[in-house]
Amino acid sequence: MKTKTETILTIMKVLTWIVFIGLCIKTGALIVSLFVSLFVNPAASQDIYLGLDLSSIQEYDQWHYICSASLLIFFTGLKAYLAYLVIKIFLKFNLENPFSPAVAKLIDCIAQTALTAGLFVIIMGAYGNWLSKKDILGISFGDSGSEFLFLAGIIFIIAQVFKKGIELQSENELTI
Amino acid sequence: MAIIVNLDVMMAKRKMSLNELSEKVGLTLANLSILKTGKAKAVRFSTLEAICAALDCQPGDILEYEAPAKAFPKKRE
Repeated sequence: MKTKTETILTIMKVLTWIVFIGLCIKTGALIVSLFVSLFVNPAASQDIYLGLDLSSIQEYDQWHYICSASLLIFFTGLKAYLAYLVIKIFLKFNLENPFSPAVAKLIDCIAQTALTAGLFVIIMGAYGNWLSKKDILGISFGDSGSEFLFLAGIIFIIAQVFKKGIELQSENELTI
Repeated sequence: MAIIVNLDVMMAKRKMSLNELSEKVGLTLANLSILKTGKAKAVRFSTLEAICAALDCQPGDILEYEAPAKAFPKKRE
């Protein structure tokens, strides 16, 4: 009989898989839309993904359009990678021996990826602001940069606590 | 580690095998092996009590302290 924690972990695993698959589909769709808008039909930039309109950037400059779309694809891919790392943690996590070096390494990786995403969003935000000063409608990321940085900070602290937990667990295992 | 476990010496004196000691003390063979090979980081008093009772000895018969050798001994003038 599953405990409440195990049930919650199973539900979280399923939700993470859904998020990961969704982000992969979004990244793939963005790549295809970019390709179509560049080589097949430039009008595709008016609806690059679920109504996102980058046609004003494309009209301003083709390279800025490629840059904006590429940065959006990279950011979506980064989020998909974060979801992938979380899935890997769920696969390797064991409640009986939770503190393992593999999970600690994954948590470290998530902290670094979240930090990269946060810094990236701040840079993208500055780029978007620069475009908007030229009256060009760019991609808006809102305040998600600071959210990612906050997430990175919290996960970094958790990673340090986890590393200490590994030390304590191995000491406990070698205590007869 | 500076603490040496002389469990095998006491076991030989009492002519007891690891299996027998494991059954008497209530520890798994794996844990006893960790203790015997000096890989243990700590020993609980309850475990030490059980081992001493099983081998009819004192803790000092099983545990020994050896000061770590200095890396660069002083040159004698």
